[in-house]
Amino acid sequence: MKLTYPTTLVLHALAQGFRHGFDILDVTGLPSGTVYPILRRLEQEAVVSADWEDVAIAREEQRPPRRYYELTAAGHLLLKTALARYEVPRSIAARARRLRPARSS
Amino acid sequence: MSSLALRLALWVIQIVALVVPAARRIAWRNEWEAELKHHASYLRRRQHRPWSTDMNLISRALGSFPDAAWIRRQFTLDAECVHDVVYSTRGLAKSPAFTAITLLVFAIGIGAAIAIVSVADTLFMRPLPIKDPSRVMTIWQQNRASGAERLDVAPGNALDWMARTHSFQALAVADPFTFNLNFAGRDPDYLTAARVSEQFFSVLGTSTIEGRLFVPEEYRRGAARAVIFSHALWTSRFGADPTLVGKAVRLDAGAPYTVVGVMPPNLELRLFDDRARRAEIQIWMPKPGFDEVESRLRVYGAWNVLGRLRPGVSIAEAQADLDVISGHLAREYPKTNSSISAQMIPLRAHLAGGLRDLLPFLLGAAAILLIVSGANVASLLLARGASRQREFAVRQALGASRLRLVRQMLVESLSLAIAGGALGLLVARWLLDVLGRFRPLDIALIDRMPMDARSAVLACGVTAIAALLAGLMPAVQLSRPEAVTALREGRTGSQRAVGRIFVIFEIAAALVLVVGAGLPGRSFMLIERVDPGFKRDHVSVLQVFASNRIDTPAKRIVFFDQVLERMRTLPGVVAAGGVSAMPFGEARVIARGLLEIPGQAAPSGDDGFVHTTAVSGDFFKVMDVPLVAGRLFVASDTSTSRQVVLVSRRAARQFWKGADPVGSRVRFQFSGQAFDAEVVGVVGDLRHEALDAPAAAELFLPYAQSGFRALTFVVRTAPDSPTDLRMLKEQIWAIDPVQTIFSAASLEQLVSKTLSERRFNLVVLAGFAFVTLLLAIAGVYGVISFSISQRVREFGIRAALGATHRDIVRLVLTEGVKLALCGIVLGITLALPAARLLKTLLFGVTATDPITFLSVSAGLVVVGAVACYAPARRAIKIGPAEALR
Repeated sequence: MKLTYPTTLVLHALAQGFRHGFDILDVTGLPSGTVYPILRRLEQEAVVSADWEDVAIAREEQRPPRRYYELTAAGHLLLKTALARYEVPRSIAARARRLRPARSS
Repeated sequence: MSSLALRLALWVIQIVALVVPAARRIAWRNEWEAELKHHASYLRRRQHRPWSTDMNLISRALGSFPDAAWIRRQFTLDAECVHDVVYSTRGLAKSPAFTAITLLVFAIGIGAAIAIVSVADTLFMRPLPIKDPSRVMTIWQQNRASGAERLDVAPGNALDWMARTHSFQALAVADPFTFNLNFAGRDPDYLTAARVSEQFFSVLGTSTIEGRLFVPEEYRRGAARAVIFSHALWTSRFGADPTLVGKAVRLDAGAPYTVVGVMPPNLELRLFDDRARRAEIQIWMPKPGFDEVESRLRVYGAWNVLGRLRPGVSIAEAQADLDVISGHLAREYPKTNSSISAQMIPLRAHLAGGLRDLLPFLLGAAAILLIVSGANVASLLLARGASRQREFAVRQALGASRLRLVRQMLVESLSLAIAGGALGLLVARWLLDVLGRFRPLDIALIDRMPMDARSAVLACGVTAIAALLAGLMPAVQLSRPEAVTALREGRTGSQRAVGRIFVIFEIAAALVLVVGAGLPGRSFMLIERVDPGFKRDHVSVLQVFASNRIDTPAKRIVFFDQVLERMRTLPGVVAAGGVSAMPFGEARVIARGLLEIPGQAAPSGDDGFVHTTAVSGDFFKVMDVPLVAGRLFVASDTSTSRQVVLVSRRAARQFWKGADPVGSRVRFQFSGQAFDAEVVGVVGDLRHEALDAPAAAELFLPYAQSGFRALTFVVRTAPDSPTDLRMLKEQIWAIDPVQTIFSAASLEQLVSKTLSERRFNLVVLAGFAFVTLLLAIAGVYGVISFSISQRVREFGIRAALGATHRDIVRLVLTEGVKLALCGIVLGITLALPAARLLKTLLFGVTATDPITFLSVSAGLVVVGAVACYAPARRAIKIGPAEALR
């Protein structure tokens, strides 16, 4: 499994509780063309599991249900390896802290 | 605004979703749409929202493409193909100059091909708003003796064809005329109109888009006045008002007409055979039966005939049937019909007009241009490939199969071709607009050619061809295993050989197309230099048909004399006169009849006919026609004096065979009247129809003695005269304020108008030739530069061994000129048969004109040498030290 810097950021964001694709974009600042293929790859490697959110929430917000992603046990392990290799910049960590209360569900 | 951005973003997702494998497409789209909608509603809740957030939404949507591509790569067996696209796009983006040039070359080649194929498609393939158009024929008269084709049909002949043929479901006639619009307070104007016989619309197989066709009662004599409008007239003058149908409109001073229907658009029936005239029918009227008189008119062509073939009857069978009838008529009416036959042209071909003959050559030219641009891109790819040899070598060493590399190169050329094709569509649109603006009047439909799904399909086809042309050769060449070892050893001979073949071909193609423009170009120059028998500068021409108010010959003579008198008093007017049949006039008023000379056997067949023209005032002085013998008409030649005529030089030769005609008596008919007149003089010949049509035998009589209804004013002004067409028109309206002026133009314009078709053809051909030439120059330049960059070491060694600059330049030039010569030899062998396709465009030159071929060849050698100049200079600069690197 290729462990790149953007992959690390995505894993980190997931660990922080950012579960939806666009939320991960917001917190990491990476372009969607980078984040989504990473998510697909992580899902394929079973490092990340994905599912659809409850239809009730979606209906309330008048949109289709969103897909959410969560780290599996293997994912947490991988994040540990990744953090040993790369450092998450303080700015991103700060942004994660700032966004979390407003956006987590 | 955010909703617009969201719409755009969702639209992007819809399109990108096509890339995702079908099994996952719906889930994939739902995920993206949910995220985008959520994000949009989140943005909407924020107070301060700069426009960049909208852009952000769209750019996130665009990011779905790599996602989709990633999924596609996992799913597809052919994941490499996706990889190839990504890889080649990245590679092209890294060399923008190369990419830009390639795209430009592709855009030109593909654009021209799309444009020409669209023209062919519009004229021959696109559905017309009529039923089964391939069964509809236009039928014309053909004069086998003079070779004149597509002549209007004499009523008597048309009626006999209708009665005797068995090959058609029905034949119908249209009798075109100009319809004067006389409104008080407006400059009198006219519309082109046609009276049509009862079967006309069923033969044509069309119906109206508004209202109805004529009912049988409306074809009876004395029926209510019903008209059908053309779509163009309905939209331009009446704003496409749907309530117009059923209403009565006043079109002239007479009783109103009821509009019963409107014809469909894009039905452009060019019924007149006349190529210089406004030909589209604007108003249709029912023709109330046929007159007994009409069945006896066999000399003047007046009608247009349409026929719908009976099911199962082929075009050849119908033509044979008509030929038999023509043979019978020739025996029954030997005086008028001995050399007349019926000429059938399918409606489609008729609508293509002069382009019918040119189109095969143009399609060929477009194909050549496409191939040349493909070859050019191919040599660019080859040159670029040479610098990527290391990359290919490495990939092959790592186990890439040859097929894999070939495919990668093809994908690269395909991506280039697709982008080039998109630009090419723009080029094509522009070319079609230009064609529409310059179109000669006899080609239907090309000023309203749409770009639509059909064009898109065409464009895709053309683009695929271009990609294959450009990609295949370099791909095969560069992926050869031996290319790798060759590189190591510093040999690149085989690639240079391929490049040379391209250049030879490009030069040959350029020669074919430059000759293809050169031959008609020379013809055009020769035609322009033809002396029509008159001087065309500073002559104004105003054509009128005396209005109903001026209804007797005596009143007309007074009217014309008064107008001429007023015109003469205008400042700068040198001379003014009138003529019944104006050479190059917009409306052709041709009177042609038998000429009898008492005591002399009439010449047989066509030689017995003469064109009869009435003139008044100083016509011959205005036109600067020389008097050869005798005298011109004088003021004392009036309606009451003895009848006199002048004959043209050609008539003198034809009828008097060298004897002096002055003083002899002649008998002829003119506008229904018999004349017995004395020849008082001989004047020079006048060409009437076109510069490339020889003058016919012509007889002139004084207008005062003719009783004729139409007259054209001709006025010669001094070069610096302030008198213009408007002032001349006002002199006519001063005498009769409701007089319609059919056309007003300078003689120069009228003559030039007859050349419009040739000019159009020439512009199109020259455009092709020019672009191909440019591409060929670029090709020579590219190949020679490449060859020199590959031979730096060789040039270094030469320099070290004492080669002078002159030696080096000679070496490079020889290479270029050799290529040019090979291309020229190949080109000439191709051009000789190709030029024959242009035969109908040639005048005064043969299809093998040595002057054109030689000068084009010489020009191409020079061009080849010039293209080598810059590379040669670069070669000079290579020093001996280069050899060591």
